[in-house]
Amino acid sequence: MIWLTWRQHRKLALYTLLGFAVLAAVLVPIGLSMRHTFADLGLAECLRPSALSEAAAQTCDVGLRRFSDRYDSLNLVAVLLISLPVLVGLFWGAPLVAREVEQGTHRFVWTQGVGRTRWALVKFGLVGGAVVLLSVGYGLGMSWWVAPLTQAAHEGRLGVIVFDLQGIVPIGYTLFAVALGIFAGTVWKRMLPAMGITLAGFIGVRAAVEMLARPHYQPARTQTFPIEGNGIPEGDRGNWILAAGIRNPDGTMVAENARIQCPPGGKGPDGRACGAELGLQPGAYNWELYQPADRFWLFQGIETGIFVALAVLLLYLAVRRVRRIA
Amino acid sequence: MDMVLEADRLGKRYGSTWALRDCSLHLPAGRIAALVGPNGAGKSTLLHLAVGLLKPDSGAVRVFGRSPYGDTEGLSDIGFVAQDTPLYRDFTAAELVIAGGKLNKRWDAGLARQRLAQLGIPPDRPVGKLSGGQRAQVALALALAKQPRLLLLDEPVASLDPLARREFLQSLMGSVAESGTTVLLSSHLLADLERVCDFLIVLNASQVQLTGAVDDLVAEHRQLVGPRHDGGVIGGVAAVVRASHTDRQSTLLVRTDGPVTDPAWTVRDVSLEDVVLAYLADGTTQTSHSEWGVAA
Repeated sequence: MIWLTWRQHRKLALYTLLGFAVLAAVLVPIGLSMRHTFADLGLAECLRPSALSEAAAQTCDVGLRRFSDRYDSLNLVAVLLISLPVLVGLFWGAPLVAREVEQGTHRFVWTQGVGRTRWALVKFGLVGGAVVLLSVGYGLGMSWWVAPLTQAAHEGRLGVIVFDLQGIVPIGYTLFAVALGIFAGTVWKRMLPAMGITLAGFIGVRAAVEMLARPHYQPARTQTFPIEGNGIPEGDRGNWILAAGIRNPDGTMVAENARIQCPPGGKGPDGRACGAELGLQPGAYNWELYQPADRFWLFQGIETGIFVALAVLLLYLAVRRVRRIA
Repeated sequence: MDMVLEADRLGKRYGSTWALRDCSLHLPAGRIAALVGPNGAGKSTLLHLAVGLLKPDSGAVRVFGRSPYGDTEGLSDIGFVAQDTPLYRDFTAAELVIAGGKLNKRWDAGLARQRLAQLGIPPDRPVGKLSGGQRAQVALALALAKQPRLLLLDEPVASLDPLARREFLQSLMGSVAESGTTVLLSSHLLADLERVCDFLIVLNASQVQLTGAVDDLVAEHRQLVGPRHDGGVIGGVAAVVRASHTDRQSTLLVRTDGPVTDPAWTVRDVSLEDVVLAYLADGTTQTSHSEWGVAA
């Protein structure tokens, strides 16, 4: 069985490794240059949670801006990189059963001396194992590559796209994509429909988890700070801000997704108090609903757990369905 | 007599249509049996049930006394070549022989290599690039390497040209003659199998129309030609299988249970093909006038 699995998939394995090598050849130089710039601009120093002098803060601001000017476009690349797990699902998962049935070879292999349940377990197991190895490599590589971008961005590692790229979640996503592909193949039994369903299902589930579930893995915290003061409170950097706004002292939301920062005692151009033209009463404050930055690994664990559990369920259903295909 | 394959009111349904229904038959050991019926008669379904690919929806099928669905142990006694001889097309014949060895406990790789060498099959070309006849031979060699006690072949010669057909059947007969393997092979054309089989199962419209040893079938059927027949009893005739009439004359194909002595009838021997055609014509075709929106 192991020999057969290797013989059947060695070409695909070769192409996958080749693809990853090409990807690495492109991304590693970019990553290295990003790190150089990061170090040259002295940004590591800026991001330490320690009070900076006025002048140092200025330099840091300029440095951060220069860094993002130069590398912001890479966020687009990051979006593309997110699609890699589903590609593995499309090309490794979907054809696993669908291709056998489409070409009729399931009638050959399932009537040999190994039963089809064992066939399914060995095959799913080997492909699953290979995919886990692949995604561990991908997750580690991406964590390294995306680190400077994440540090320079205000939102940090919990940010919507970078969270999905690094750490252990790629393992969950990739396993899920492959399991979904295999399962779709046992239901639709043709490669193209199975691939289509896999793509649609993967995007649907990922989007649903990302938008509906992830913000609620832990109760979000709120923080408030006055609109008159010396900037954002310490430790704000890296938090994942779910909602923000300006509220009046009685708690009513005046302006959603906004934030005001006036110097102490500052007046508007017409002499009125800070923010009065928006309808802010004295004592109005900035309000934020957020997930703190230190929950990164907890959220990674929860999200990975969800997708691994879904993958296991899909594989179980796939094994059951394999027993009914003739 | 030892029964290799037994079906008892076996049925299989796809949705609401029965692909096979109330199928009862017994295949004795050592026979070369032809499973004949038009396309869609349920031949593949019966073979898939016998090899355990399908689970019966009603009744039971037994191969060597075991129920084949989900029975991995029993699989080693059955060699199966599916329709269109599906093989991994990018594998070479030599690799397929290795694959078979990995997938089976009992596997005679030497036998397979010997056969393939004798047939001049190149060992290092992907089987997808071989001719249809060669590919069928590879599939047969793989099935025989399992040293099965029952060999099931689903339309093995349907896609082959006449020469390749003859070669395929010859090599099949040559190899099972020594081992005493029971063979069940299907075709929609009796002519393909008539020369090699000694047992016959006729399927039509998802039901068994006729089953028995070829010699018995030929011996017990007769063609009667005589005056126009109105359905009355004829001495020695168990059943009228098929009747055609002109104004004054009737031609009947009958199953006999004794000599037909009535001098009004001219009795003729029939060929196996006559018998099969008579039973196949008996199957009713479901008309679909309403689906087509045309008058009946």
